[in-house]
Amino acid sequence: MGTATATASAARFRALLDSERVMEHPLERAIYARDGSITEGKCGLVVLPQTREEVSACVRVAAELGLAIVPRGSGTGLAGGAVPFDDAVVVSLARMNRILDIDPDVPCAWVEPGVLNLDISTAVADLDLHYAPDPSSQAACSIGGNVATNSGGPHCLAYGVTAQHIMGLEMVTADGSVLELGGPAPDPPGFDLRGLSVGGEGTLGLVTKVCVRLTRNPPAVRTMLLDFDSVAEGAATVGAIVAAGVVPAAMEMMDQKMNIAVEAFVGAGLPVDAATVLLVEVDGTPAQIAAEAELVQRVGREHGAREVRVAADETERQLLWKARKSAFGAVARVAPNYYLHDCVVPRTHLVDVLEEIGAIAERHDLVIMNVFHAGDGNLHPLIAFDRRDSDQVDRVYEAGREIIAACMAVGGVLSGEHGIGVEKRDFMPLQFGEIDLAAQADARCAFDPDGLMNPLKVLPAGSRCGELTVAPDSLPPGTWL
Amino acid sequence: MSEAPRDRTELAAQLAQASADGLPVSPRGGGTHSRVGHPEGRPRSSISTTQLDALIDYTPQDLTITVEAGMSVDRLGEIADQHGQFWPQVGAGAEATVGGVLASATSGLSRLRFGPVRDSLLQVVVATGDGRLITAGGRTVKGVSGYDLPRLMTGSFGSLGVIVEVTLKLWPRLPARRWFARSGADALDVGLALLSELYRPGAVIVSGDTTHVELVGQPEDVVAPAGFTPSEAPPPPIGTGVVRVGVTPARVRELLHALGGLGVPMSTQLGVGTCLVAVESTEQIAEVRAHAQRIGGHAVVDDAPDELRIDPWGPPPAGLEIMRRLKAAFDPAGVLNPGLMPGGI
Ligand SMILES: Cc1cc2nc3c(=O)[nH]c(=O)nc-3n(C[C@H](O)[C@H](O)[C@H](O)COP(=O)(O)OP(=O)(O)OC[C@H]3O[C@@H](n4cnc5c(N)ncnc54)[C@H](O)[C@@H]3O)c2cc1C
Repeated sequence: MGTATATASAARFRALLDSERVMEHPLERAIYARDGSITEGKCGLVVLPQTREEVSACVRVAAELGLAIVPRGSGTGLAGGAVPFDDAVVVSLARMNRILDIDPDVPCAWVEPGVLNLDISTAVADLDLHYAPDPSSQAACSIGGNVATNSGGPHCLAYGVTAQHIMGLEMVTADGSVLELGGPAPDPPGFDLRGLSVGGEGTLGLVTKVCVRLTRNPPAVRTMLLDFDSVAEGAATVGAIVAAGVVPAAMEMMDQKMNIAVEAFVGAGLPVDAATVLLVEVDGTPAQIAAEAELVQRVGREHGAREVRVAADETERQLLWKARKSAFGAVARVAPNYYLHDCVVPRTHLVDVLEEIGAIAERHDLVIMNVFHAGDGNLHPLIAFDRRDSDQVDRVYEAGREIIAACMAVGGVLSGEHGIGVEKRDFMPLQFGEIDLAAQADARCAFDPDGLMNPLKVLPAGSRCGELTVAPDSLPPGTWL
Repeated sequence: MSEAPRDRTELAAQLAQASADGLPVSPRGGGTHSRVGHPEGRPRSSISTTQLDALIDYTPQDLTITVEAGMSVDRLGEIADQHGQFWPQVGAGAEATVGGVLASATSGLSRLRFGPVRDSLLQVVVATGDGRLITAGGRTVKGVSGYDLPRLMTGSFGSLGVIVEVTLKLWPRLPARRWFARSGADALDVGLALLSELYRPGAVIVSGDTTHVELVGQPEDVVAPAGFTPSEAPPPPIGTGVVRVGVTPARVRELLHALGGLGVPMSTQLGVGTCLVAVESTEQIAEVRAHAQRIGGHAVVDDAPDELRIDPWGPPPAGLEIMRRLKAAFDPAGVLNPGLMPGGI
């Protein structure tokens, strides 16, 4: 399928959507050839349906023409999941952005996929409710994208990742049919297709409606910033807090390089001379936070915390969180680009893996900054670099591979929350055997027998069944960067 | 034939043989959920996981434990308890195995606070109908590497594969945890009021005219609400059969109002939307189901003798075609509990 096909089929889609919602100008297509990762693809056509019926009609036309489809939310994904290849049709759900219904008695909300994560919490704030998963990108990323990548966020430590907050969803599958899976009534009969669909990265269908579980705001919150002279002390504190029987609402770590960049960006009063800081939040009843905050501070001091700063009020708390959530943005002060993996390692291996990552940075003469969900061992080593320097780019990829290898060696997994997309798919054999991958391909095929939904993503080339639309070699040349 | 293989390799080989011979088999854990689904979908030949009961790995600081699926839930509870941790599904019954609880998606009574059982499954190893051993998910507390086959296996009642090993997420034991109860004609109102007043109770359950509440947390927070006295967890309703109704928690009042006329024992988890109803006849099952469906819910027969399981699942769920393809992929010869699931899958 060449450029001619998708781009030349614009008229077929214009028969379904108003003209301005079908875009084939090269500049527009170029914008949709990228997402939040460093991968660049080739986009044949962009369509922006506004209703489930329009989505379904677009999918039917694409299926009829044999065109591959790439679902897209806000395009903040970090694994290249929304990047089209081979001039595929990008179906953006961004225009489906209405909150359809809020039911405080469940509590839950039905929303369209283009609704931004933070907008849900804002809409239900006066009901003393919020939507718990809070990716750092929450002001920009869509709930459809969150469902597709099974996103996490700092508060997923205690509250669980996206999958635990999706009660139901509606999905248009590759043949254009509409599936309604689950809803607020628990445990519907049959296989759990809703559970299987979350984290499907757009390969199982286009999510057109989502029922999200809402969470009561905790009656009390305490946020603490602990700083340490060594990364090892900070990491040991993380394990010790959990071992002492407390799972905080959130437990995030930033190393010194990251602190310096963030402090220059946000001015939150972070101790820039510390080797690492730990941001710990406990929430619950007043008795609970009193007990847990006391334990966190005691364990921290026992493990070498120099100081424990307790946020005095909501303003200070918000400032500390702003610092944490601005981390990726702050990297721009160091270098124009960043590349990261988001492996998870057992908490017990945090110290050794972080040391290994430090050694990898040194070996390749690269700047690696760490900011991550320490509580669940979900690393985000950011390699800051300049894509115009091709020698540096080679070293970045090599360092990335070594980081993954180091994580897998201690029993880690490839991705904690960003998904596999295209950037990590060829690493899948490090975590899974051939039989395992074939079973995953089977699951995918059950939804999309012809392989038109976001092909080339998640499973490595050559996985049985999954890659029907491309030759089983690798990605198109020049795909990355 | 009734096999109890000693290890997963032997189990997989027996399944491969069953597939080659086209002989249907029924995977068994503790057998606590053998009265579910279409009766003809439960072959007489069984293959039991009870000899697969080893502890594979447990690192308390990681809050994860890996065990073979035939381990009893009680044994898992004891192991975790030694380190001040627990799996919220304990109390599933003395016979229940970890694999059986997952295969039947039996969530514990404290689901309101700790979530459904599927949320605690991190990694699974299953033997497929044709004897492949597949690993999916990961052993870490969090992960999105590949498709969520662990969730697919949860609640698949042994019809896609035999769960042989699982990695579970555990919770640290909370300082205090206790049930309280109060009886009165206003049990539902009292329960709903508690549900909105209390911050994250373990459970609020209405059984007959009794409101049961489980409180969890700091000792200061675990005190009897006004009018309540300390008690035990509510027993399940008992009848010839039990139907499990699922409705949106927002419409539990309507459900109970409608079911009140039946005059049968029932137990309802407020805030969850699960209601267990003891039933005596297929007519009662149909009536319960009709009420559930009228408010957008469903009703499945959870435990009943064959004669009450003429229509155990109700109307076919969405995505039946996809479910068929999944069945064909994981159990190509169709030997695992064939016909047990909705739509005769
Ligand atoms: C600064 C920054 C910080 C971030 N922090 C976090 C974080 O803390 N935690 C975290 O988990 N992620 C984080 N991310 C990654 C990203 O924001 C998430 O993966 C997010 O869920 C992507 O949402 P999106 O709407 O941008 O999706 P996109 O990038 O548009 O798409 C992501 C994937 O979902 C698919 N998709 C999108 N919409 C649909 C739909 N409606 N139906 C089916 N498939 C769909 C796409 O095909 C693609 O595979 C961060 C990103 C940035 C840039």
